[in-house]
Amino acid sequence: MNKNIEQDLQKQLRKEAIRKNWNLFRQSKLGMIGLYIVIFFLFLALLQPFLFITGIWNKGVYDPVVGYEAIKDTLLVVECPKEYPTEKYESMKDCPGEGEINVKRLYLAPGVEVGDYYEAFIQPAPPSSRHLLGTDSLGRDVFSQIMEGSQVAFVLGFLSATLGVGISTILGTIAAFFGGRVDAYLMRQSDLILMLPSLPLLFIISAFAELKVWHLAIVLGVLGGLGGSVITIKSQALQVKVKPFVDSARITGGSRWRIMFSHVLPNVAPLALLFMVFSVTGAIASESVLSFLGLLNIDMSWGIMIYLSQTDGFIFSGLEFWWLILPAGLAVTLLAGGFYLVGRGLDDVFNPRLRKR
Amino acid sequence: MSKEVLSVKNLNMHYETLSGDVHAVKDVSFSVKEGESFGLVGESGCGKTSVAMSLLQLQADNAKISSGSIQLDGVELVGMNESELRKVRWDGISIVFQGAMNAWNPVVKVGEQIREAIREHYPEKSKAENTEKIESLFQMVGLDATVIDRFPHELSGGMKQRAIIALALSCDPKVVIADEPTTALDVVIQDQILNEIKKVQQLLGLSLIYISHDIAVIAEMTDQMAVMYAGSIVEIGPTEKVFSTPKHAYTRLLLESTPSVVGEKKKLRSLDGEPPSLINEIIGCSFSPRCPDPSSDCKNPIKEMGLVEIEPGHFADNCCVDCG
Amino acid sequence: MGEYIIKRTLQMTVVFFLFLVFSYLLFNAIPGNAFSNLLLNPDLPPDAYNRVLELYGLDKPLFERLQLYIVNFFKGDFGYSYKSFPKTPIELIAERLPRTLMLFAIVNIVSFYTGFFIGKILAWRRGSKSETWITLTSVFSYTVFYPWFALMMLWVFGYKLGWLPIGKFLYPEKWYDAPFDSDIVFSSMIKFTIVVSLIQFAAYLATRGIESLSSRRNLRFASLIAIFIGSYFYWNNGAALIKKPYAADIAYHMILPVMVVTIVAFAGTALLTRTTMMEVLKEDYILTARAKGISQKRIRDRHAARTALLPVVTSFIFTIVTIIDGSVLTEQIFSWPGMGQLLLQSVLEEDIPVAMACFSFVGVFALVAHLLADISYSYLDPRIRIKSQG
Repeated sequence: MNKNIEQDLQKQLRKEAIRKNWNLFRQSKLGMIGLYIVIFFLFLALLQPFLFITGIWNKGVYDPVVGYEAIKDTLLVVECPKEYPTEKYESMKDCPGEGEINVKRLYLAPGVEVGDYYEAFIQPAPPSSRHLLGTDSLGRDVFSQIMEGSQVAFVLGFLSATLGVGISTILGTIAAFFGGRVDAYLMRQSDLILMLPSLPLLFIISAFAELKVWHLAIVLGVLGGLGGSVITIKSQALQVKVKPFVDSARITGGSRWRIMFSHVLPNVAPLALLFMVFSVTGAIASESVLSFLGLLNIDMSWGIMIYLSQTDGFIFSGLEFWWLILPAGLAVTLLAGGFYLVGRGLDDVFNPRLRKR
Repeated sequence: MSKEVLSVKNLNMHYETLSGDVHAVKDVSFSVKEGESFGLVGESGCGKTSVAMSLLQLQADNAKISSGSIQLDGVELVGMNESELRKVRWDGISIVFQGAMNAWNPVVKVGEQIREAIREHYPEKSKAENTEKIESLFQMVGLDATVIDRFPHELSGGMKQRAIIALALSCDPKVVIADEPTTALDVVIQDQILNEIKKVQQLLGLSLIYISHDIAVIAEMTDQMAVMYAGSIVEIGPTEKVFSTPKHAYTRLLLESTPSVVGEKKKLRSLDGEPPSLINEIIGCSFSPRCPDPSSDCKNPIKEMGLVEIEPGHFADNCCVDCG
Repeated sequence: MGEYIIKRTLQMTVVFFLFLVFSYLLFNAIPGNAFSNLLLNPDLPPDAYNRVLELYGLDKPLFERLQLYIVNFFKGDFGYSYKSFPKTPIELIAERLPRTLMLFAIVNIVSFYTGFFIGKILAWRRGSKSETWITLTSVFSYTVFYPWFALMMLWVFGYKLGWLPIGKFLYPEKWYDAPFDSDIVFSSMIKFTIVVSLIQFAAYLATRGIESLSSRRNLRFASLIAIFIGSYFYWNNGAALIKKPYAADIAYHMILPVMVVTIVAFAGTALLTRTTMMEVLKEDYILTARAKGISQKRIRDRHAARTALLPVVTSFIFTIVTIIDGSVLTEQIFSWPGMGQLLLQSVLEEDIPVAMACFSFVGVFALVAHLLADISYSYLDPRIRIKSQG
């Protein structure tokens, strides 16, 4: 009977604590901005499967990887002169102009002459009512790709961050707690990981292993977890270790493992949580850079979108093909930044000394 | 008849918090003469430290002096801007903090931190002059000159405390506030430190404001004293008189709850309950909820509060003079 | 302390050994015959292949190869580069290292200093509107897509505006008839930078004993002026004069990378500084300093910032430890031919001797830097003395 009451009380206390922390978090402007951003992208990530399942979106058209919609437009066929300026065109950039197409591009189409009207497939297509952010050069809907990328970002981010922080927290606490040889061994181990240059390493790994989202998440998580963050968590755990309540736990006969898990770990947890949020930022950024360098085997992600726009040569097109690069780039920045801001908000919650009165 | 060095009149101070204004100091008035030591005693949270901080205007950002005057040697401190105040701090009034253990910057040597204070107010002095001064200060408080080049964590608690006193004296202030300077120390060291303070005070002719919740210390150290409760002074007068003829119910209970080594064995009385929260305005006698023997008049909300003179120089709060 | 260094060095050697083995195995895990790349080199003299094969036992099974490699390694023999035969990896590294060091030393110093400075301001202006805006700006500069941003900046400043050079570290035309290699110019630039920093540091130390704060400040400022004048004379006379235009050319090419990386990297340091400073500002000794009558500005700069410096320095040293790894992307984008680029290319081209040598170099560098970091940290914070921690 007693145990039940105790458990109920614990549950209640926990609920109250969560509510209190939530109120504190709400006070942080930056944290709230970050939270809104994250929720927005979460919504996008969930929206896509929803649209497909309910049939609002036809999979054949809107699938981010294999969808295709033929977008045609009637264009006037012209011949671009060799020298500029002429009475019609100022410079080479103006030909072909809006609604025109150079006859040289249609060398495969039989019987087309200058002055004819030709129905051409224009991919990538600019935003329209059917495709809110236009299509890429393969005719795939960009908005759908953004949503797919959002899913990838969340999965990748959370998986690698959780894994990494989990590993480094446990290892760091063990190192702080057991000291001596164990500590020395763990420090050397993180040295070893630190020594490895990450980018070349990932190149090598991708050379002999197919890297899908899950694989990348695990690799990033393990590498991150075993590296420098162990050292940081360890110094935090060291500070907790010298607090009086640990001594009293020891005196009352707690075994070392128990003290570690029930006492030290929960006090290191806030810092670890912070780490996790910032790791997500790092993971999202890393994925986009790696995809950009062509290292990954994922079907679609924001990094892949930027990669494609570069290989297709649109990256410097300035504002002409903005929908190919801007949404993806902005998405990476916004979501990574959003998590960072959430971390800032959590910082205010967990560091009572930093709060406003 | 020595002159008044510090005079506080009707000081009111409040903290602005998210849950409302906390009126921490209510209508406090007292004065300290040259060479005199003044004691301020009361429970935790009664406002003593707030008063001390207000004197130097070192309170937190959300604390504001609502009204009142603080005059040091005739110069009004309330209303001064920051740069003027900075000149007064340490040079006119200095303070030995509660928990002086942490008052030292851990990465700077002790001597350098004292030098910093002197430099701030007397930039023309040379390095040799300052070193000499610090050495003589250390001698006064019983510290070796080698401490100058040590880091704070290399010193024991007692040594740090003595160094804090030396620091407080470094600019020859007129008034030194000692806010529970010996609370964290063991009794032997406490005794030593108290003797040092007394010795130094007599030597330099300082005025001392001693704040403590330990009434025994106040008895030993001070000439005049005031008892604070819930933000206002409930009894004030010469220490001797307050101890021999305490008028206020709270004062009496305080005295009776302190064990004495001499005299007959008495059963100690203790105080039930806790001090009132200062967020809501207190109407009427603030002590009446805890008074063990209130008169019928106490619960009257419109009863006039304020100090009345019981005998020359000895005042007590109107309400509780007749109770307890 | 000495005992600690010895113990640590022994541990480091063990770790390094493991690292070597691990890297070698990793490289050999790449599908394809790794050392047959040597054959692909068109400049290879006909019998060189067999000679190399024999020398390094490249046709033997993995385990023997590994043993041979390690033995040769500790003898100092790293083999020959497959791609740029007959250059040895040491030559290549020696050629490229100064370039990376020069650029990234400057990059890191500038971005850390900027981050620290902004972090200080952020901590001070806590809760105000400017804090929110500065934070938002720095967050989004931190998370911007680096390759794209760098390329955009290159495009804007290099191509559109033409103000700054597009990549590379010098204009080949200018160097056409140069009397010496770029390495010599680099090394003299590095030496110059080191000397200048040392002089400034010495001036800082020497003036610590002076009592009056204002004269301290004046003396340090005077030393800065002296350095300026000294540099002017140095570069305009004698041997340095000839190098000056070339050095200037290199410096000119450094501006854009330094700018870009600083913009992207300062926010991390800024946040760290801000958090630490805010914690420090609540400490009792800050209150004591206020009671002493010291101005807010001086408290911020001398007390709070000084303590906040500790984790920033740690983070700085961490960055230095991984300096080569961090340089890979930047060097690739700005076509700055340094260590990072060498590392990446050697991995991509499977030029194993060079790749292994690069990895080893990075490894040793990381270990030594980490050790130096631990030692210097104990000097920065007198509370920390090296105990028998690992």
